[in-house]
Amino acid sequence: MQTELEKNFLLDFEANQNIAHKVCRLYTPNQDAHNDLFQEIAIQLWKNYAKFRGDSKFSTWMYRVALNTAISLYRKSTRTIKTQDISDVSFKIQSSEYDNTEELQLAALYNAIRSMNDIDKALIFLYLEDKPYKEIAETLGITEVNARVKMNRAKDKLKKILNP
Amino acid sequence: MDLSHYKKAWENQPEEKNKVSALEIYKMTQAKSTSIVKWILIIGLLEFVFWTIINHFVSELDYNKVYAKLDLTYFFEYSYYLGYIIVVIFLYFFYRNYTSVSTTDNTKTLMRKIIKVRRTVKFYVYFNISISILAMIILNILIANTPNGIETLLRVDQSSIDSSDMITIYIASQVIGAIIMILILLLFYYLLYGLLLKKLNKNYKDLTKLDEAN
Repeated sequence: MQTELEKNFLLDFEANQNIAHKVCRLYTPNQDAHNDLFQEIAIQLWKNYAKFRGDSKFSTWMYRVALNTAISLYRKSTRTIKTQDISDVSFKIQSSEYDNTEELQLAALYNAIRSMNDIDKALIFLYLEDKPYKEIAETLGITEVNARVKMNRAKDKLKKILNP
Repeated sequence: MDLSHYKKAWENQPEEKNKVSALEIYKMTQAKSTSIVKWILIIGLLEFVFWTIINHFVSELDYNKVYAKLDLTYFFEYSYYLGYIIVVIFLYFFYRNYTSVSTTDNTKTLMRKIIKVRRTVKFYVYFNISISILAMIILNILIANTPNGIETLLRVDQSSIDSSDMITIYIASQVIGAIIMILILLLFYYLLYGLLLKKLNKNYKDLTKLDEAN
């Protein structure tokens, strides 16, 4: 028997699960690890859901918990392989009306971000998700000024990886 | 190529194909967490148990009879009870730090709190090592000031060995023993926590760097 709280949580999470999937794709090298991290994110979200009062949007809160889990809590599984599997990403994003150039760009983008350190990954991810600097700063716990400066540096790094 | 093209590709990326159903999510939330905070809690509690058992066994050792002969019984009894009070104090701080860890904090605060939980246990370990060394030193001073103290402790016949040789061997063996013990402990803790927290420590350093003046 599920409580009202559980029902609301499942609805919220199901609707926003893409956020967690994207984080998993950036922070893990294979499907097993992806599923592991996804489960840990689900556990952490549920554990704290009662404290989530809705003073911010569920999705905003989810970005924070998902990134925190990936950066601070998750122990990389011993199965972790260093090589990043490009086919893994492009396989997932095949769809009929999807433009092939964009598909390749996306695969290249994922691979480039995956080669960055965990903190730069978070910065770039939040930029790609169009988060305002205020929110980025609050999520990571740094000042807004530093968020701006360091974001530009992370973007430069990313550009260099994409266009060597 | 400009980043904006890539950003557009990112925005247009299709939704995850392997979507998880509400039922699957429910099952996931019922699973046990394998986060490092959980591991720090488990390992930390095991350490408290480990040291408490060690202290207990030491107090039960046959040696106590020898200590009684040397009038050191009180010394050991007091330090034994003091040890328990200290465990309780450490456990309190450990628990308080552990419960303050929350995934809903910002990333930096979260990492700082996790490192603090770990630090409580680290202090406990250092404390135990320092106390052991201190106890050893006090004990040796007391023994040295007791007539025939070393002989009584080692349970050897006074006439069997030359006494100055015996003192040298005794001190050397104690120092070597202590060094080996400390090395084993440090290696043990490196394996336990060093590896567990390697990623977190690196990320914390990176994030702190991010927040430094440019």
